[in-house]
Order: sequence, then C-alpha cells, then structure tokens
Amino acid sequence: MRNVTKDVAASAPALTLAFQQGEKKVDDRELVRLSQNGAEAAFEELVRRHQQRVFALVAGILHRPDDVEDVAQQVFLKAYLGIKRFDQRAAFSTWLYKIAVNECWDYLRKRKVRPLVYEADLSEEQVSRLDGIVSSSRPPEGPNTRAEMREIIERMLAALSEQDRQLLVLKEIEGFSVQELAEILSLNVNTVKVRLFRARGRIMDTYRRQIPAGKSQVVPAEQGKE
Amino acid sequence: MATDPEVGHAECERHEALLEDYLNGELSAADAKTSLDHLDKCSACHAALQRAATSTRLLRLAEPWPDPGPGFARLVMARIRATESERVAGRANFWQPFVSFGWRFAATATFAVVALVGYNAGWGHWAQPNEVAARPTQGFDLFAPEPARVPTNGDEVLMMVADNGHEKH
Repeated sequence: MRNVTKDVAASAPALTLAFQQGEKKVDDRELVRLSQNGAEAAFEELVRRHQQRVFALVAGILHRPDDVEDVAQQVFLKAYLGIKRFDQRAAFSTWLYKIAVNECWDYLRKRKVRPLVYEADLSEEQVSRLDGIVSSSRPPEGPNTRAEMREIIERMLAALSEQDRQLLVLKEIEGFSVQELAEILSLNVNTVKVRLFRARGRIMDTYRRQIPAGKSQVVPAEQGKE
Repeated sequence: MATDPEVGHAECERHEALLEDYLNGELSAADAKTSLDHLDKCSACHAALQRAATSTRLLRLAEPWPDPGPGFARLVMARIRATESERVAGRANFWQPFVSFGWRFAATATFAVVALVGYNAGWGHWAQPNEVAARPTQGFDLFAPEPARVPTNGDEVLMMVADNGHEKH
C-alpha cells in the first residue's frame, strides 16, 4: 500500500488548486479518505460541496436565520473532528446531515429555545396574492416573488406540527429526497411519505381558513382527508 | 382521517404513500394503475390528492435558503485551525502541573541527598560544642569549686544521680 499520508502532505496545495480549477473530479469517498489522512484541502472541498445543503437543513430545522451560520460552522467542525472515525459505510452526505440534525437539536436544547414560528395568519394582501397564484395555472412573476412566497409559505406552515413543517420545508423548498429525509431523521420511508402527503393537505386547510367563504379555488377540507 | 365510507380507512391509508410518490413523479406504472383505480372509487382520496397537488405547487414557488458563498468554507477552516491549536495548547496545559511538581520534587530530593552526604562526611561534628575547648585552661585554681558538669549522654546522667545519692549517705 502506498504511503498516502506522505503523498497527501506533499500534494495538499496542488489538490487545493485542482479542486478550485475543477481539473480533477474527485468523489466524496476519495476526499473523505484524504481528509482522514490529514489533507485540509480535501476537507475544505467537502465543506464547499455540502455547505449549501447543510445551511438549508439547519435553516429548515432551526428556523432562526441569525443562528444558522454559527450552527452550520459547528456542524463542519464536528465532522472534521470525527472524520477519522467515519467508516464510509453510509454516504458522507448522510453522515454529515445526521450531525447537522443532532447539532440543531443540541442547540435548541442548550439555548432552551424553540424554533422561531411565524404567526399563522396571513395578511389580506397575502391571501389575495395566494388566491391569484392558486387559481392561475401560470407561475407568478415578479422580482421578489420567490422570497415573498417563502414568507407566505412559512406563515402557512406555522399551523403544522414542528416535524411536518420540517419535512415539507426540507422536501419541497430545500430539495431533499424522501430517502434522504428518512435516513437523516431516522424514519421509515413509508412514514415519511404518508406524513408528507397529509401535511400537504393540512397546508391547504390553513389557506382555506384564511380566505372568505365562497372564494376558495381549492377543494374544501370536509371532502378531503384530515 | 375522513374517508369515503364506501372504500374504507385502511385502503386509503395504503394509497397515501403511493399518492405521495405520484406527486414526486416516482410512481411506477403498476402502482399508477392501482392508484387510479382507487381514485376512481374514492372521492376523499381524489380531493386529498387535489389539495396536496396545489400545496406542492405553492411550496415549490418558495425560495430555498441561499448558498453562503465561498467565504464560508474559509471561515470553517479558520475555525478548525483555531480549535486544533487550542486542543494542542490544552494538551500541554494538562501536563504542566505534573511537570512543575516533578521539578520541585527533584530539587528537594537533591538538597536532601546533599545534606545527608555532608552530614556523614563529618560536617555535622563542627556544629556540636567542643567540651574540652570550652573548659578554662589557664590559672588552674585548686580551691575553686569544680564547674558544673553538663552530662553529654544518658549514662552520665545516671552516674551523676548515683554520685549525688552516695554523697548524701
């Protein structure tokens, strides 16, 4: 077996350069192996690859924008300190996301805070905007539409349980797959699917409660599942 | 959960996972046929699917969390390096009291050994009073009373007690 540590120590700057220039397509497994042998550049590349999803995951759970960066940094620090014990039986991303979930719960427990929850009530303007979007088949247009939609959606999600809210945010807004969510949150895949499906219905119940009777474009909840 | 009374609760529950697959575009052809058959029979599931599809469309319009940018990785690495240095310093600090105690112990032991060796070599005798030298040597007076003798050990004490007792008798 070749002496990986020596090779890595000698080639760390070259590796950094290669990662930065995109000359070398190194997969996560190889980067983890290099990190385990002390290559900081390899770990930095792992951070760069996964930072966006870790941010999304932490933001999805904590729901406190001010603390997201600090907790995300702590996640990567823990990953770095524990990477020598990581046996690569699971994907690096799954292992990292589990660290992120645990770190979020630790954070909430230590600070004795609950995730920030919006008021479930929508303003009249938001309701009419939402009604327009629901009744139209075309996606809404405008410079701040997506940011505005995020706020409206967050308000609607406030009516759900914490776990349902997290599942929907992570699945539909942040783009995690059902399989990933099941692994990260240690749930059965079918359980995740059923919870997601029911939570989607509950969101529309919230929406229906917000609009005046007779104006809704959505199927009433009495006909649907509760 | 409100269900269509004609269909049944358990069957609707079984289809929820399949309908979620349908919303995610992951439903297999065989499962799609089963679900469609169920939806034809169950108005509750049909309505639930419509509501779920609408909320999915809304949710997907929301903006995801923005990428923190390239500076974040550098911040993380700086924090890692700072933590590593603290850990190394912490490890050194852990042994510091033991090292300090060791040095003090060695110094005390050396001093004790030097003192013992010195005593054995005879330096200790210089410090004891020389009985002979203390006696006056000039002008021996026959009538002057004998100076009080100080016993130097236990035997002399016993001898002096015995002499005193003899004189009294």
